[in-house]
Amino acid sequence: MKAFAGRDERAAGVLYDRFASRIYGLGIVMLGNDGSAQDLVQDTFVKLVRTAERFDPVRGRLETWVLLTARSLAIDALRRRVLEARSLHAIGVPREDDPSPGPEEMATVADLSSRARRAMAVLSAEQRSALELAYFGGRTTAEVAALEGIPQGTVKTRIRAALLRLREEMAKEADHDV
Amino acid sequence: MTCEEVRELLPEHLLSALDETTDMAVRRHLRGCAACREERMKLEEGVAALSHAVHDQEPPEELRARVLRALDEEWEEPGPVPAAPRPPTPSQRRSVWTAVAAAIAIVLVAGSITWGATQSHRANLATADAGSYRSLLGFLGGKEFRVGAIQPSTGSSVSGRVVLYDGDATKGWSSWGLVMVKAPGYDGEARVTLLGPDGDTYAWPPFHIHDGEGDAWIVTHQDMTDYDRLTITTSDGTVVGSAAIHAA
Repeated sequence: MKAFAGRDERAAGVLYDRFASRIYGLGIVMLGNDGSAQDLVQDTFVKLVRTAERFDPVRGRLETWVLLTARSLAIDALRRRVLEARSLHAIGVPREDDPSPGPEEMATVADLSSRARRAMAVLSAEQRSALELAYFGGRTTAEVAALEGIPQGTVKTRIRAALLRLREEMAKEADHDV
Repeated sequence: MTCEEVRELLPEHLLSALDETTDMAVRRHLRGCAACREERMKLEEGVAALSHAVHDQEPPEELRARVLRALDEEWEEPGPVPAAPRPPTPSQRRSVWTAVAAAIAIVLVAGSITWGATQSHRANLATADAGSYRSLLGFLGGKEFRVGAIQPSTGSSVSGRVVLYDGDATKGWSSWGLVMVKAPGYDGEARVTLLGPDGDTYAWPPFHIHDGEGDAWIVTHQDMTDYDRLTITTSDGTVVGSAAIHAA
């Protein structure tokens, strides 16, 4: 990361190879089409360049920092899309760029959705719902609590338990592979 | 903040869903608590596991070249790499009242102070807008608006503007304040402290200066009428600027 912050092109390539697939996949899941997902990858790396010097390994893992930067940009893109759709709808203008996915993209989304279902199957329905709303939907715990009709403390507990369970499952799989 | 409180907030801290002040308190606790850092690391591994399991998808091959080209262009731009504008995140959401207070403050600042305007132009604007101020004051039921210009301490280049609104506490109205700071070359935590003639102080929660610019605001039921000065201090306690506060 230090090399990346120091404008090292090789480090940029290494970072891309390590994270691009997960950022792209996140874009497909959250934004629903290939073009937006590719834009998300580019925007994320540009943002990482601009904020590289602020990254502090003591404060958190590089992986989390990269993924949450991408997630934050995806949430912004979703919000812009909603605002734009509302504005155009308000003045009766149809959208020119239809962001709905084509057949190939639909297949990719379906594949990812099926994998997501399998991975999330280890979670309870309540944990899954809270995690999806918070992580993919960008909702605060207060918003999730209002949507689910449960106390905010319960939402926090569910998200925490869901993340720890996924970590545990990943560790089991890694042990199994060895 | 206790370990129990911090652990309850960790998921939101991790997903950037905390307001700035709470998030800063969590970060401060984490710096000095290995057990809570360990807990955060476990949750981070959960996020990593989620991303591997749920959204790992190879992008088209040509995207690599496109992204690396964009990074090249970014690096080729002359001068320091500019900071990316920070998008609005859930952590930046404020209460409605805070937003209203800030909006009013911005209107006032734009109308009466106007960054970069000459002194005479500023005076003219202030005179012309005096009627509007009184109307606004009447509408809000407050006592007074006060303003100040932040002057740098020796060796500092800090500047900025201050707007305080003294609400009428006897009628249940809160007071609020907005401080905008320019601190070229500084990136880090800072704090606004109001000072009274009797030595009373009122420290606001810390705020962050990013790439030389930052702002702090507060909405409070505390009476701020007696405070007539303020200081800006950096995280190590150095006073880098101060302002005398006077009636608008």
